[in-house]
Amino acid sequence: MENKLDYVGQRIPRKDGPVKVTGRAKYTVDVQLPGMLVGRILRSPHPHAKILNIDVSRAERLKGVKAIITSDDTIGVKHAFVDTPRYPADEPPIAKDRVLFVGEAVAAVAATDADVAEEALSLIKVDYEPLPAVFDVEEAMQPGAPEVHTSHPKVKEPLSNIAGKTESGWGDIKTGFAQADYVREDRFESHLRTHGYLEPQATVASYEPGGKLNVLTSSQGPFFKRAKLAQTLGLPFSRVRVHKAYVGGGFGGKIDLFYHEFCAALLSMKTGRPVKIEASREEIFTAYRHGEPLIIEIKTGVKNDGTLVAQQFRVINKSGAYRGTGVVVIFLAWGFIIGAYRVPNFKYEGYAVYTNNPPRTAQRGHGCPQMRFAVESQLDMIAEKLGIDPLEIRLKNARQAGEILPNGDNVYNCGLTECIEKAAEHTEFKKKYGQARSASPSMGSIRHGIGIGVSAYITGSLIYPNSSSTVIKMNDDGTVTLLTGALDIGQGAETILCQIVAEELKLPMEDIEVIAADTETTPVDIGSWISGNAFVTGNAVRVAGTEVREKLLSIAAEELEASLEDLVLKDKCVYVAGSPSHKLTYQQLVSLSIQKRDGDPIIGEGHWRTVRGEPYHPSLATTKGRWSDSYAFGAQVAEVEVDIETGQARLIRAVTAHDCGFPINPTLVEGQMDGQVSMALGHAFMEEVLMKEGRTLNPSWLDYRMPTIHNTAKSEVIDVITERYEIGRPYRTKEVGEGYVSGILAAIANAVYDAVGVRLYTTPFTPEKILQGLGKLK
Amino acid sequence: MKQIIELSVNGESSEFAVEPQETLLEALRDRMGLTGTKEGCGTGECGSCTVLIGGKPILSCLTLAVECHKRDIVTIEGIGDGNDLSPVQQAFVDCGAIQCGFCTSGMVLSSEVLLKENPNPQEKDIYKALEGNLCRCTGYNKIIEAVHKASEQMVTEQE
Repeated sequence: MENKLDYVGQRIPRKDGPVKVTGRAKYTVDVQLPGMLVGRILRSPHPHAKILNIDVSRAERLKGVKAIITSDDTIGVKHAFVDTPRYPADEPPIAKDRVLFVGEAVAAVAATDADVAEEALSLIKVDYEPLPAVFDVEEAMQPGAPEVHTSHPKVKEPLSNIAGKTESGWGDIKTGFAQADYVREDRFESHLRTHGYLEPQATVASYEPGGKLNVLTSSQGPFFKRAKLAQTLGLPFSRVRVHKAYVGGGFGGKIDLFYHEFCAALLSMKTGRPVKIEASREEIFTAYRHGEPLIIEIKTGVKNDGTLVAQQFRVINKSGAYRGTGVVVIFLAWGFIIGAYRVPNFKYEGYAVYTNNPPRTAQRGHGCPQMRFAVESQLDMIAEKLGIDPLEIRLKNARQAGEILPNGDNVYNCGLTECIEKAAEHTEFKKKYGQARSASPSMGSIRHGIGIGVSAYITGSLIYPNSSSTVIKMNDDGTVTLLTGALDIGQGAETILCQIVAEELKLPMEDIEVIAADTETTPVDIGSWISGNAFVTGNAVRVAGTEVREKLLSIAAEELEASLEDLVLKDKCVYVAGSPSHKLTYQQLVSLSIQKRDGDPIIGEGHWRTVRGEPYHPSLATTKGRWSDSYAFGAQVAEVEVDIETGQARLIRAVTAHDCGFPINPTLVEGQMDGQVSMALGHAFMEEVLMKEGRTLNPSWLDYRMPTIHNTAKSEVIDVITERYEIGRPYRTKEVGEGYVSGILAAIANAVYDAVGVRLYTTPFTPEKILQGLGKLK
Repeated sequence: MKQIIELSVNGESSEFAVEPQETLLEALRDRMGLTGTKEGCGTGECGSCTVLIGGKPILSCLTLAVECHKRDIVTIEGIGDGNDLSPVQQAFVDCGAIQCGFCTSGMVLSSEVLLKENPNPQEKDIYKALEGNLCRCTGYNKIIEAVHKASEQMVTEQE
């Protein structure tokens, strides 16, 4: 069959553009239901305390209060992002007996309006007995530290507050270091950042008398939410329906089950009325889950020519008061090392550690920016010591197509080398690198620097809901409806899925209707949080499209008395090649199918998952087991300006050369890259959630500085194509939405060093740190 | 005590009885169902609640409804003409200047004002006009591109 692509690979405007640009897109916060109550949550003011008594009697008497819930109203089932025999769920949906962080839910109220609900909160009297608390992660690990939770029984070291540990290795680390010509050890540390989604967290829950819970919630995938709600509320999965609403950004921050979701649902069950809970921005800053800062100790041994021979890591995750994704990020941190470079001897230990800070969660890149910052910074230091340029040391160790990773994953079509070469060439890296450090003082106070960082990232993995399934049904008029559980959180999921349908069926985009992200009417989907949409859901859509196409062709072949090979799809018709008048419209074919195929109106279904043949997710504790079927690779170059008088630095240009397999929609790919560059420059220079003793000191956008338009960096994107889209065949395209917050962060750090000779070991790269490095500030 | 006010929103005048502490944002969203205007922070920091009063962009979360008595208000629902998008809206769609869409209403309204006052803006003019509107998804690159494109389109249409 001819493989001329009309839709995949094209810059097709996003399908939801018109509805968003006219303000008609309905987000959860926009939903109003008849009789709807307003819910509010009473949160702990203490980082660690016993709950002695909760008295709701005065609040109950307030006119307009319809229900108040505490842990006594729950079924006592705990939940968590990870819930396995090794890591059983540890979070009560409402605190019972003890609060472990400032912001933990203690009670919730549903009332006729927000003022009454807030007044009711102030009338609930909670008696606390404060307990010793611990906030610094390395203090928390010390024997005798205040105990947030009992240390994990399988971790035998004399350490406190260990939520979990990941250990991995291969080769022989001692021999590896013995073979090295040069060994260096460094410690890097990252800081706390929030996701910055513009739409606040919000949920509308509506329990019907027949026993069905309907939920609209701002999330990153409805199936995970359904599972957690059903489990904590004691409802069968089938009695919980999570509907689609537009989502105003997630970036990892809307995956877990949150208090407002559980409480809205339980309050609705108690009152029989819809309940809406919307978090204030201050609540999001103080009580919700931010990203996971890591401490990374890294020891690396190399030969004189730059070949890596041994690498050892000790990583500590500041998990907060519950395990959350804490044991996931210490696994992922390992995973984000193994993809980019070959290291024959390797040892890794990662600890997730409890403190009395709020729990943390996934954040775009989920450990990757922190790890790449450490690895790539140290690699530049090694290269400088050995007198090798930064490109050469990366090219020497870069993985190549078809390599098998230590966990058994095949990297297949790896374009890392080409990415490094293209990014360098495009920026004239070799010409520019090292220039600033030899500059004369006459050039004023501004120094320019250039730096590079690389990354490798997975494209989908096996975490519940694990797989994607889709249905494409033809309509009587020859158009189609796509049913997918995928949730578009802004990345353009629905648009690229429609492009695949359009391509497989040669059908205009406007003839495809999408029903999405509804646990009742759409099949299960992997979710918008494991970077699997284009690969996993996309392939599922492709399979469904293939089935529809084959059905169309089979009927057409019969009716037109032509062989299948001679048939062509075009303009909602099937033609006989070379005989354009000899055709049947899709509308006619649907009708014929119903007549001649026992009523089949032409429906296709498709399923996909990554690492097919592997039953389970790899072990979080040992890393054993395959992880992903498709790896994205990229090299990013940053150009920065640093003022040596003020210490101010800024990113002026970012070039991303990325192996994405092939871009299904280049405009959307660029959008992902631009957004990641912006997020990384915020990470590097601007953003920090400041906390003291478990309390947030800067809970607003005025004091937490997110990039504004004034901070825009020029962002250029180079697609390194390593895969082809062929109609009717499986493809291995790659993620573009997470990995690229990583290489660029490292590139920025390396560029600052190139500009002013200051090596930064901790994020953010503040003027103070740069001036200290310059010896201008003590 | 509630107060009766008259609001002209997107060319249509109506009277409302509002609480003195009620914001324009609440009046638009809760009373009129004009949910295209968004609340991202409620404290005037993100610009998602931008609407136009007398043709100027203002933050509706920091504006009391009673202050808007007999003022002309334009929300995102008042931009474009029925099914036709305005050149700014069309450019946002075409350039990929929209991702999650939550900042989009405010971005479009701020851009509309800019291009009305300055049909041929330089990069620095765009920065100035959109500096109060936060976007987390796009890094602003494609938004800037869209404003340039809309400007070109509008200049071409006038010629």
